[in-house]
Amino acid sequence: MSLNAKQVCEIAQSMRGDALIVNTMGAMNAFDQLGSNSPLNVSCVPLMGGAASLGLGLALARPERAVMVFDGDASLLMELGGLVSVGQAAPKNFVHVLLNNGVQFAGLGNLPTPGASGVDFVSMAKAAGYTSSVRCDSEEEYRQALAAALKTTGAKFIEVDTGYSPATLGPSVPAVEMTDARFTRMGDELRTIRKTLEAA
Amino acid sequence: MTIDHTKYCVPASAFLEAFERCGIEYVTTVPDMLQIALHSALEKPGSKIRSINCSTEDQAVETAAGLYAGGKKVAILVQNQGFFAAINSVRALGLDGRIPLFMVMGQFGREWSNLGQDPRSSKRLMVRMLEPLLETLDIPYWRLESPDDVKNIELACDAAYQGSRPTALIVGHFVGFDASSVD
Repeated sequence: MSLNAKQVCEIAQSMRGDALIVNTMGAMNAFDQLGSNSPLNVSCVPLMGGAASLGLGLALARPERAVMVFDGDASLLMELGGLVSVGQAAPKNFVHVLLNNGVQFAGLGNLPTPGASGVDFVSMAKAAGYTSSVRCDSEEEYRQALAAALKTTGAKFIEVDTGYSPATLGPSVPAVEMTDARFTRMGDELRTIRKTLEAA
Repeated sequence: MTIDHTKYCVPASAFLEAFERCGIEYVTTVPDMLQIALHSALEKPGSKIRSINCSTEDQAVETAAGLYAGGKKVAILVQNQGFFAAINSVRALGLDGRIPLFMVMGQFGREWSNLGQDPRSSKRLMVRMLEPLLETLDIPYWRLESPDDVKNIELACDAAYQGSRPTALIVGHFVGFDASSVD
């Protein structure tokens, strides 16, 4: 797969229409790098594993809009049963994109995720009740899968392999500090979404 | 030990009436043994409240937050143990995020000899640690120890939405089955 996380998110941004977007981990960084400040975006942070369920709640509350969740493989593993929760709740407007890079702390420490190779997330999503589930091996396949997902009814799963940057933490950069905003942005963004939807 | 359960059980209908007065449209849950009567009532055809069954309590909290952002009011039904398991999600969304989280949590494991007494004096750690833990997290709570406490259902719910914070309604004994629930 020749796409990186930023490209995956940039393509989604161009195709989203009025969809709500939930992102986390690498996808969150990618949307930030794109300068995306849409009032319909929320970053699930610092709450690893929560993106799909946050998206499920939004999808159930607002069935008239697509909800797109950009998840990470380690994040999905933390709440793997969430695939079943989504499948059983059967939202009609749910698009779950998995950016699978096989590591945690991508670009910082690049630590291998459990099952970094060979875990069949696509089959798991299908078995959990998603209405469609595909793995994309090219940009063209990803664009087509996303377009189809945004047009069809149900809970749709799309996996894309993305790479990661070399680790930055090391002897010359021994630590990184979290900003205050990292702890408050999720609540602020959820409130912004609520107000935006009320006003629409 | 034989007890008169009617002294301690709040019927499911009282919950449903209070939820409807509060405008609750959804429940997110990993089912709680003490709340089986309420869960069953919510699953009946014609229920005005949709129950979303999740596979973990973290998901129940997160889905509730998403529903809130979408404009809905939600009750989160879990067990005391389930709350313990979901603390990080409550911390992220409710405490740091200041999202309303109205949590109804059953005191699973409470010995019957403790009914009518202070739950903090229960022999069972999972029971007696709940209130101190909520206080440590600065989460206000209301006890539901008998039908006399029914008003606390709305008080706990209103406090969550007006204060934009997590609150807990602590269900001290099994929710009662209504006569109409008998098939």
